Amino acid sequence: MSKLPLWLRIAGNSAASLILGFLVLPILAVVPASFNKASFIYLPPRAYSGVWYERFLEDVEWRTSLLNSLQVATLATVVAVILGTLAAIGLRRLEGRWRAGITALFLAPMIVPVVVTAVALYRSALDVGLSGSILGMSLGHMILALPFVVINVGIALRGVDENWIKAASGLGAGPWTVFRTITLPNITPGIVGGAVFSFITSFDEVVVAVFLAGYSNKTLPVKIWESIRLEFTPVIAVAATMMIVLAIVLFLVAQLVSSRREISTQ
Amino acid sequence: MKNAGLPLRLEGVSKRYGTYTALTPTDLSVAAGEFLTLLGPSGSGKTTLLNLIAGYLEPTSGRIEIGSRDVTGLPARQRNIGMVFQSYALFPHMTVGQNIGYGLAVRGVPKAESARRVAEVLSLMQLEGYANRPIQKMSGGQQQRVALARALIIEPDVLLMDEPLSALDKQLRRAVQLELRRLHQEHGRTTIYVTHDQEEALVLSDRIAVMDRGRIQQLGSVDEIYDRPANAFVAGFIGESNLLPAKVNDMAGGKATAEVEAFRRTMVVQAAAGVEPGQTARLLLRPEHLLFNKTDDGVPAEIVETVYLGELSQYSLALESGHVLTARQITDRSLRKGMKVTLSWDPIHARVVPEN
Ligand SMILES: Nc1ncnc2c1ncn2[C@@H]1O[C@H](COP(=O)(O)OP(=O)(O)OP(=O)(O)O)[C@@H](O)[C@H]1O
Ligand SMILES: [Mg+2]
Repeated sequence: MSKLPLWLRIAGNSAASLILGFLVLPILAVVPASFNKASFIYLPPRAYSGVWYERFLEDVEWRTSLLNSLQVATLATVVAVILGTLAAIGLRRLEGRWRAGITALFLAPMIVPVVVTAVALYRSALDVGLSGSILGMSLGHMILALPFVVINVGIALRGVDENWIKAASGLGAGPWTVFRTITLPNITPGIVGGAVFSFITSFDEVVVAVFLAGYSNKTLPVKIWESIRLEFTPVIAVAATMMIVLAIVLFLVAQLVSSRREISTQ
Repeated sequence: MKNAGLPLRLEGVSKRYGTYTALTPTDLSVAAGEFLTLLGPSGSGKTTLLNLIAGYLEPTSGRIEIGSRDVTGLPARQRNIGMVFQSYALFPHMTVGQNIGYGLAVRGVPKAESARRVAEVLSLMQLEGYANRPIQKMSGGQQQRVALARALIIEPDVLLMDEPLSALDKQLRRAVQLELRRLHQEHGRTTIYVTHDQEEALVLSDRIAVMDRGRIQQLGSVDEIYDRPANAFVAGFIGESNLLPAKVNDMAGGKATAEVEAFRRTMVVQAAAGVEPGQTARLLLRPEHLLFNKTDDGVPAEIVETVYLGELSQYSLALESGHVLTARQITDRSLRKGMKVTLSWDPIHARVVPEN
């Protein structure tokens, strides 16, 4: 990089900054928007206040949608982490050609258009009576989140030396003890990463949620989407800000966990 | 820690991968307290044999016994075997003490007793005070000793080591070899040791099994293998050797009448088992057994190269037949390149061995 001429470096850095700004600024714009005093979104706000945050928390519908989202995301994450971790471990044991094929199946939810998945889930949820339920949405989101866990844990597993497993079992440890004391501690960063991606995938997912939400169990994104068609109030910006903050916090947690791990393995 | 381990017996143990045979059916008996080394080139099946004994691989055929126990079908965790891996395979998320104590922890040994025994092994390995160090902060040589300590603390019936010193530099390797020998002399546990390095094998072993192409080519004491190699592969692999084609015309009383084209003569030489009339075998002459004669007796040769190795020198000698032999002798400055000499040897040092 340092070998490039100065003008090229400046041009390159400027282009990168512009692209980054283009990507990030519209998102960050909702943060000041949420502090509007007026009942209409002005940017920048003419006067600041936290009144819309109060409104958000007072409104039962907004509040329950937030709680629904947290519930759905938590349940989806827990199930995706357990199944995805097991799947990643199983995939690693398979022989080459089987592994490639079955991995593709597990990653399919990332590639299949979400709306297709949503329609399919809508139909099946009706059949099994899960339509409009928290559980139905959680399982739908779990399917979307699964690939992130399979990928993250799969990468972490590549760092687990087969000889550690052999050594541990030779020293008398059964398969479960080996997993708990050797494999698990070494793939924790991958599991945490997968969990964060899962949670965020579910928390801001709208298509599957719209199909499965029903009347009473709206998630936050569904509520935002509905509200924005009726009125354009700063409460929407409040909700969006909350989602951004949550995403940032989760990514920081993931970073912290993986950097801890790197320090300790240096 | 006083425990000589148990004897080990293999009966017809083999391992195939599809159509490829990594280990041909092999019989092997190792006495309690014995130090046996598996020596052989890459791909000869040493690790395969070790993994079969440890229970990391399932044999295609055969039986494995430790003491009087048939362990053939048992998983590794029930065999009470200590294994030291080439890469050490230390657990990176644990301290030195936790690594060493792992085998005790999974056996449910109480914390206090475990701590005491870890301390004991640490001092045996001259690693006092390192118990709380992260494993990554240990040097290569220290990690090697931790790996050995982790294997020894469970008081294994058999100790297996797969090229445990190959990651160390030469000087350190020599020191650890002597250390291993001391440990074995003190605690005498049944040990099977894999190495590429014949010098290492000579330093450590009671007996050596020379392996090639999935087969134990010869099993014996260091002397036996060096003085009476079973075939040309063993002769060529252990030590330096001159191996000349020899056509066997007759066999009688352990001696072969062989035409040695390199010398253009027929000779009567002692022969290894498996040498048969009509066969093309090899005449083995070790470089240190070739003598230079002052007289005209013997095989005429010309010195084509001399290499001073200090006290000893190595000479390359071209025979009239065109074959080149290597001789090694106390350095004699009067022997120079281009000189004509005659060669002889004590007949007890010549030996006909089968091709393979
Ligand atoms: N899983 C496997 N599938 C097919 N072939 C294998 C497998 N494992 C080992 N082999 C083959 O078996 C042969 C013996 O391997 P092994 O690891 O025992 O050799 P080694 O004597 O330990 O060699 P090195 O000195 O290089 O470690 C090799 O040719 C190897 O390619
Ligand atoms: Mg090997």
